[in-house]
Amino acid sequence: MATKVHRAAKADARPLPDERLKEILYFLKLARYFDERMEALYRQGRLPGAIYSGRGQEGTHVGVAYALEPGDSLFPTHRDLTAQLTKGLDLKRVMAQFWGRIDGYTRGRDGNSHIGDWYGAKTFTVMSHLPIAYPVAVGAAWAYKRRGEPHVAMAICGDGATSNGRWHEALNWSAVFQLPVVWVVNNNQYAYSTPNEREFPVPTIAERAAAYGMPGVRVDGTYVLEVYEAAKEAVERARQGGGPSLIESVSLRWRGHAGHDPATYVPKDLLERYMAERDPVRTYEEQLLAWGVVTKEDVAELQARIEREFEEGHEFALASPFPEPGDVTKGLWVEDGYWRSEPGRGGGTEAG
Amino acid sequence: MTTATVEAGAAGHGAEPRGKRTEDGQATYLVAIAEALWEEMERDDRVYLLGEDIGVYGGAFKVTEGFLDRFGPDRVIDTPIAEETIVGMAVGSAMEGFRPVAEFQYADFMSSGFDEITTVLARYHYRSGVPLPVVLRGPSGGGVRASSFHSINPEPWFAHAGGIKVICPAFPADAKGLLKSAIRDDNPVMFLEHKWIYRRIKEPVPDDPDALEPISVARVRREGRDVSVITYGAMVHKALEAAEELERAGISAEVVDLRTVYPLDEETVLRSIEKTSRALVVSESYRFVGIGAEVAATIAEKAFEHLDAPVARLSPPNLPVPFSPTLEDAFLPQVADIRTAIERLSAW
Repeated sequence: MATKVHRAAKADARPLPDERLKEILYFLKLARYFDERMEALYRQGRLPGAIYSGRGQEGTHVGVAYALEPGDSLFPTHRDLTAQLTKGLDLKRVMAQFWGRIDGYTRGRDGNSHIGDWYGAKTFTVMSHLPIAYPVAVGAAWAYKRRGEPHVAMAICGDGATSNGRWHEALNWSAVFQLPVVWVVNNNQYAYSTPNEREFPVPTIAERAAAYGMPGVRVDGTYVLEVYEAAKEAVERARQGGGPSLIESVSLRWRGHAGHDPATYVPKDLLERYMAERDPVRTYEEQLLAWGVVTKEDVAELQARIEREFEEGHEFALASPFPEPGDVTKGLWVEDGYWRSEPGRGGGTEAG
Repeated sequence: MTTATVEAGAAGHGAEPRGKRTEDGQATYLVAIAEALWEEMERDDRVYLLGEDIGVYGGAFKVTEGFLDRFGPDRVIDTPIAEETIVGMAVGSAMEGFRPVAEFQYADFMSSGFDEITTVLARYHYRSGVPLPVVLRGPSGGGVRASSFHSINPEPWFAHAGGIKVICPAFPADAKGLLKSAIRDDNPVMFLEHKWIYRRIKEPVPDDPDALEPISVARVRREGRDVSVITYGAMVHKALEAAEELERAGISAEVVDLRTVYPLDEETVLRSIEKTSRALVVSESYRFVGIGAEVAATIAEKAFEHLDAPVARLSPPNLPVPFSPTLEDAFLPQVADIRTAIERLSAW
């Protein structure tokens, strides 16, 4: 159960066919553009609620989620919208959610990245109390094992959430029952303002896996293919009946905890170094150009497509109606039928 | 309060819970609960049990004795002592189509799973449309000299959470029928058994596996003319005892057993007040912001024109359940307290 330290993938090794490598570039660039544009709209006062930037961590988010199959489930946090988009969320409905509209995945009952699409992309609707989804992932993974289904549950939390008792409960339980689950820690080095050394007394989070008798690996979260390969290995091990794994993916949170936070507690030189040398989007784009998987024209075309999709999403969101005030109590109990009404509304969240 | 022992130990003989009925066919409250679990597991293989020491040991109160042999370790799961994950496991498996019933060794320990209960279980369906047919059950309540950490009535915490139905049955047949309804319900249900009742109260219970009791429907346990006593759980038995004593003194008390404390059956309560014009609300949960407070407020708000006296309340102060018999008896409403309160109300 030794902790492995992955090195960046070799420059000549392509782990996936070109089309899939391009798809990964799409998700990385979509995430970056979405994050920047939503922050601008938030600062202009044109976006209600909150934003939780995942910038700088796109390699982690795309890398882990891209390793999942459609039948696998994802239990993310508010920081992990990019992982949910990679798993299949519809950008239009995501944006309707941010603007509190009926076409959002929660029908206006929650906002921003507190989102999920269980009956579609198979993602858990995010909650703030971290790592609250870890114990729930245990239950989904148990269900797959009990039924003999070849599915895997993956849960993501941050470095700070590993201090919480539930993190340890869930890892312990998953190992006792040898469940098909992958535990991802997005170590972006800061839990709001609290650095790693105030959250855990050991050099890495990955080595904690040994205490639960499961493999643990620490990867460079700024290099998406390294993350993907580690995640794929863990996912397939779980699928084959090999039990749970822990992945610590290290990057840096470029922005504050939420939109209001200037994050002055992050040393300036650390941030500048990451932005200059370890930008997961640019690094990967340059890699694909060097490999000849894409041309500069391809990249420009991809960027134009992303910007078009963003504008379409924004228009869709603003055109979507607000929920009816008179419906405020509806949807609490199953028997009121609210979530089974208006098929299509709410993004495939109707049962059955 | 007369009992001085903590009840635990074997419920009876034979694997199938019906085999534990008395010779004249009556079931204790505990056996009725076991029957409900057994029958629902026989009926629907999506139903499974999880909890601490429920399998090999059969549960701290032996409710699930014999279940492991009949249903196997995939459906009767002994878990680590990890209450947040017991709830999380129930939620995650419910999202995947199972119908888990999680036992808490004592309802007191539900606080160890509080966040998963009140944040995930209570709020998930409203935000996602994903049904969570989860039942959390466990022994609650005092009067058995079990002190602060084995005696609480947590129903106000979870009634207040919003998205969880909270059931507190007082009789074996209700316990059986309501637990079966809870397991078949598509919403989260908190099923709070009362350990004082477990082996103390017995009665005939239905044999029909599809005999259900409806959730959120109160029941008039005793008809009366002068005063309505609105209560639930072990206090129903105290109220009935007080009412019997007063009958001989010429005071006629009606006893309404709420059975479900959330969502509340307001109609049955208000109908009783319309008849008697006097209300005494008795709860074993705390007085301040308790179930009794909500019932009293509802009566004051919606039946004011029928009232001939202020709504009276009896419930323990908001402090830890004390151990010493003198203290616990002073803490919990007693039959004499209820009798006195009824007499005072009837004199208005």
